[in-house]
Amino acid sequence: MRAGDNPALMNPTSIAHGAAIAVSPAAASIRERADPRAVLADRVEQLYGQMWLAILTTFAVGAIATFELWEARLRELVLFWWGLVLLITAASCGLLYAYRRSPDRALDPGQWLRRLAIAALANGANWGFAGAVFFPSHTDEQQVFLAFLLAGMMSGGIPAYAASWPIFALYAAGIVAPFTYVLATFGNRLFTELALLVPLFYAINVAIAYRVTQVFHSGYRLRHAYGRLTEDYKASGRKLELFARRAPIAVLEMDAQGTITEANHAAELLFGYAAAELTGRDIRVLVRPEFHADFDLRWNRLIAARAPEAGLIRNPRRDGIDVLCEWTFTPLVDAEATLIAVLAQGRDVTAQREAERVKKEFTSTLSHELRTPLTSIIGSLQLINTGVAGQVDKDVAEMTLVAERNGQRLLDLINDLLDVEKIESGKLSLAPEVLAVDDVVREAMLLNKAFGERFGVRFELASPLPGCQVLADRKRLLQVMTNLLSNAAKFSPEGGSVQILMQDAAREVRVGVQDRGPGIPEAFRGRIFARFAQADSTASRQKGGTGLGLAICKRLIEMMQGRIGFDDRPGGGTTFWFELPRSQEEMPCPNAR
Amino acid sequence: MPERPLNRICYVEDDEDIQRIVRMSLERVGKMTVEVVGDPTMAIEAMVSFRPDLVMLDWMMPKMDGPAVFRQMKLRPETQGLPVVFITAKAAQRDLDELTAMGAAGTISKPFSPKDLPDQLREIWKKLP
Repeated sequence: MRAGDNPALMNPTSIAHGAAIAVSPAAASIRERADPRAVLADRVEQLYGQMWLAILTTFAVGAIATFELWEARLRELVLFWWGLVLLITAASCGLLYAYRRSPDRALDPGQWLRRLAIAALANGANWGFAGAVFFPSHTDEQQVFLAFLLAGMMSGGIPAYAASWPIFALYAAGIVAPFTYVLATFGNRLFTELALLVPLFYAINVAIAYRVTQVFHSGYRLRHAYGRLTEDYKASGRKLELFARRAPIAVLEMDAQGTITEANHAAELLFGYAAAELTGRDIRVLVRPEFHADFDLRWNRLIAARAPEAGLIRNPRRDGIDVLCEWTFTPLVDAEATLIAVLAQGRDVTAQREAERVKKEFTSTLSHELRTPLTSIIGSLQLINTGVAGQVDKDVAEMTLVAERNGQRLLDLINDLLDVEKIESGKLSLAPEVLAVDDVVREAMLLNKAFGERFGVRFELASPLPGCQVLADRKRLLQVMTNLLSNAAKFSPEGGSVQILMQDAAREVRVGVQDRGPGIPEAFRGRIFARFAQADSTASRQKGGTGLGLAICKRLIEMMQGRIGFDDRPGGGTTFWFELPRSQEEMPCPNAR
Repeated sequence: MPERPLNRICYVEDDEDIQRIVRMSLERVGKMTVEVVGDPTMAIEAMVSFRPDLVMLDWMMPKMDGPAVFRQMKLRPETQGLPVVFITAKAAQRDLDELTAMGAAGTISKPFSPKDLPDQLREIWKKLP
């Protein structure tokens, strides 16, 4: 669930930053989301949508013009022109009908645009023809009538073809070009001047049509972009809904008062209520009454700050049994920071907590119940072995020594297991203090002297660093040293010596324990610091050891901000080393490099 | 450091085996006089009559645990000044710190070494005011 299918709503970083979740579309680059073909199709649709008006106007004005010009001369030509009007009207009607009937007209809008352009050019040219033929041959009044008619037809084309200025330009050119020619060749000064003005009007009209087209175009693009955005939002909304419904965690949606408005399937299963039963009820029905005050406090804080809240809540189920859940409450706000809803996600941690408790109890039992009898066993054997309990036969003494040694081994194993458990559950806390490394190393050598003697091995401090200080936990550092020294003793040849080397660098101090043992087998090197890692289990049975020592050392040194490792010489002999950061408070080491 | 050497020890412990080991360790290795009390509810009376230099308490005991005995000791004028050392199988540093905070003179973890136990007690004895 952390993966966050919907970045706007489930982004974990926005929760981590304590921000409420805002639901607002990003305004930038919305227009780029529109599909150009769909926009063109819309424009073509608009052009065809008002085509009937243009057809009707052409027919009506054509009829009036025919009636008006009929009285005059050139009746055959007037009749011919009227025939053209009817033809164009019929063709346009046919085109409109074909467009309306075409099921895939949106697929190739360019084609329909071209057809319309031809119709518009024909229509415009017909009006131009009327102007060119009838203007010179009629009376002054009729000339005025024609001029008005043509001007009206031209300007009427702007709204009709607003969605495509090139069509308007063609249409208007059809009207203006023959008419201007007639005006220019009339031989009258006034008309010559008009012949100059008419193209100017034409140009202005085309410019206006161009602007209007731009406005339409951008309007359609916006409409499409928003349409697509809305679809995207619907899709992500559906995705989120599906995600919430199928999520293995309980998801509840509430209003600002805490009334549940939605609950998913996991919530139904967890609390034993149907979603319909939860809807309309207060969220506090899922909180134990004794925690209501605390819950209200946090709820009010969430509402006031619009910031998410998280925590553990003991939730009573419908059957009265409590479940312990880890909850995240996230306020959902809009762009104006108005609270839309509160989303709650809850994970049942009852079993997990119970398992943790059992594990803790087990560890505590292991610690107490195993160590108490071991105290008696090892104690008794020690009293025999040290002669306190009186003299015993040599063979018996040998056996009791074996018994004590193995009792001690068992105790070491228990202690190591407890350490591993503590480290892994994060319960191991260190008490760091400023320590003289030299002192700790000497103390460790003294403590392990007897152990070394058992294997006939001497510990020698080869390069002491008096006065050099580190920040570390004394007891745990001794534990690490004890581990390294006893390992070195176990794997050294009898009668050999183990060298303790100390090196001082600018920032850290390195302590190395060098043995003359057989070295670390190649295959074992990679997992030497892993738990229960032993190169040779027969050796471990002979020499004791749990296989946990180095794993614990590694974690302890790392917890003290240090590093641990080993260098192996091909001819035999291994140096295990650790580095600890030098204390900031110390005086410089006398032999610091 | 008290002027007289550490001699009389009262040990409250329910486990009979450990009682025996401690008694042998303190008497034979440490040459001390030991009074072992197996029932913690009788501990105060035993201390009053035995008048030890130092009291050793086991932590976990049935009926009454070590800290409870310690609290009761604080209520009696005869026992409230006695130094107390806890012997416990609890290994957590937090638990040991808790005992020190209660006013314990020291803590010794189980398993202890009977060979070293008298010396450990004398170390604690030396550090007393």
